[in-house]
Amino acid sequence: MAAIRLDDLRKTYHTDFWKPSFEAVKGISLEVEQGEAFGFVGPNGAGKTSTIKVLAGLQSATSGGAYINGISCEDPKSRQQLGFLPERPYFYTHLTANEVLRLYGSLFGMSGRRLTVRIEELLDRVEMRKFADVPLGKYSKGMLQRVGLCQTLLHDPDVILLDEPMSGLDPVGRAMVRDIILEEQTAGRTVFFCSHVLSDVESICERVAILVGGKIQTQGRIADLIESGEKRIVCAFQLQQGTIEDVTVGHNVTLIPKGSLWQVVLSETEFGTFIRNNTSDISIVDVRVQRRSLEELFVDAVQEDRAHSELGVLV
Amino acid sequence: MMVVWTLALNTFREAVRDRVLHSIFFFAVVTVCASLLLKDVTLGDQDKVVRSIAEGGIDVFASLIAMFLGISIIWKELEKKTVFTILSKPMPRWQFVLGKYLGLNLTIWVEIALLSSMYVLLMLFQQDVPSMIFFVSMVLLVMELMLLTAWATLFSTYSAPTTASAFTISIFTIGHLADDLWLLGSKSDSALLEQIVHVIYWIVPNFEVLSIRELSVHEREIPWLQVGSAMGYGIVYSAVVLMVAVVLFNRKDIR
Repeated sequence: MAAIRLDDLRKTYHTDFWKPSFEAVKGISLEVEQGEAFGFVGPNGAGKTSTIKVLAGLQSATSGGAYINGISCEDPKSRQQLGFLPERPYFYTHLTANEVLRLYGSLFGMSGRRLTVRIEELLDRVEMRKFADVPLGKYSKGMLQRVGLCQTLLHDPDVILLDEPMSGLDPVGRAMVRDIILEEQTAGRTVFFCSHVLSDVESICERVAILVGGKIQTQGRIADLIESGEKRIVCAFQLQQGTIEDVTVGHNVTLIPKGSLWQVVLSETEFGTFIRNNTSDISIVDVRVQRRSLEELFVDAVQEDRAHSELGVLV
Repeated sequence: MMVVWTLALNTFREAVRDRVLHSIFFFAVVTVCASLLLKDVTLGDQDKVVRSIAEGGIDVFASLIAMFLGISIIWKELEKKTVFTILSKPMPRWQFVLGKYLGLNLTIWVEIALLSSMYVLLMLFQQDVPSMIFFVSMVLLVMELMLLTAWATLFSTYSAPTTASAFTISIFTIGHLADDLWLLGSKSDSALLEQIVHVIYWIVPNFEVLSIRELSVHEREIPWLQVGSAMGYGIVYSAVVLMVAVVLFNRKDIR
């Protein structure tokens, strides 16, 4: 059974009686297996937060379904094994970290020594123990994010939903949160990770879905997606005769001067032609294969969607 | 019920820290104290004047607190986004609405209890003892405010405090004029208008049913039958209004 399942999920907002409705999520289907770390990325307004809110039970699906451990997200029982960290978590500012975690714990039916020990353990883990009795109104954004992570993990959930968990954290905090997420994933928890910071997604997740305009543009294992894309060749050479313009004319290359050497970046197909045309003019010093990064995949997906939209408008 | 109690307690703790509540409570204390001071500068039945001002003061300021806290009870959670980390826990939304409602009323009960105790102490200091009907009148006041806060909670689930306050004040005013509304309908020449006014009368709450302040001021016998039926009316009416609030809140998308 999948830990998270989305079945042709659609979410439409009716903001105003006089305004047309807005479809934020346009039929998303995906499955996240138990113990998997899944990245959910997309530009602003792609429908990530809407999807996450349906999973967390904060919003209802307009059609289709969302399931946690096979239980519909409409059912509060689906949240028994769910830990949710919203983007920039907001808490009751009059409470201290200790008090707010106690409140959340009691909503899960936790109490007494078990809850106290768990709170201390988590506050230690996010290095917030010494601020445990300070009202949350006095906390910085990063400190609130750490408390947010504590409330997410408080009841030891099987499924963890994280919406921009690194937001507001300094580099040390980011590294700490990343380590905690990785530890949880190693311990067998399912992590559904939503972020703009693609390097974080790459370092934590095995699989990713790129969401653009409410639809999934690409999804799969990050390694496979990167491998499947067209590779680029980075070639360093020394000019033997002629000018650099003679060598590069007619080729679609990115040219970078490197001291007495030149470096070109070109596609696999372009590389063959480039070498054949310039055999006697250049002496090759180094050749490297460069794979596409997740960021490039992301940008390509966004651009592809824009191209489709523009085509749609023209047609 | 553990979840409801936890949320109620948290709402209470948040409400008692509110500075506006402190200010209203301060004026309530001043009014209750002033009622005894006025005794010496009043002509006629001095005790009745004191009782009237003190009980009226408790009524007015408790209603103000109920309206002030009630109009934003759910909205504040939505606006401050604190609801995200609460409603993503495994609990149905009715527990959240009920917890907030009970927490709000807990604050009002404590406030009425404090003001009543202070009034009793001041009376004792003046070597006077309030009659039993005063306490029954306070219980009915609690019921009246539970009904008013049920309406405020309902409005707070879908509208901003400004709109909710307009609606709640309207309900409060109409509720206190319900009997006059009936009279107006009955005296109308138009049968249609009479029907419409009578339908409105049955829909809006009748707060006067829940008030025995006049009897309390005059230290009359406790009308137990009226008290019993008023309590029943208040409980059933509040439950119905809260159910509507739950239905509306269940359908709400938390953004």
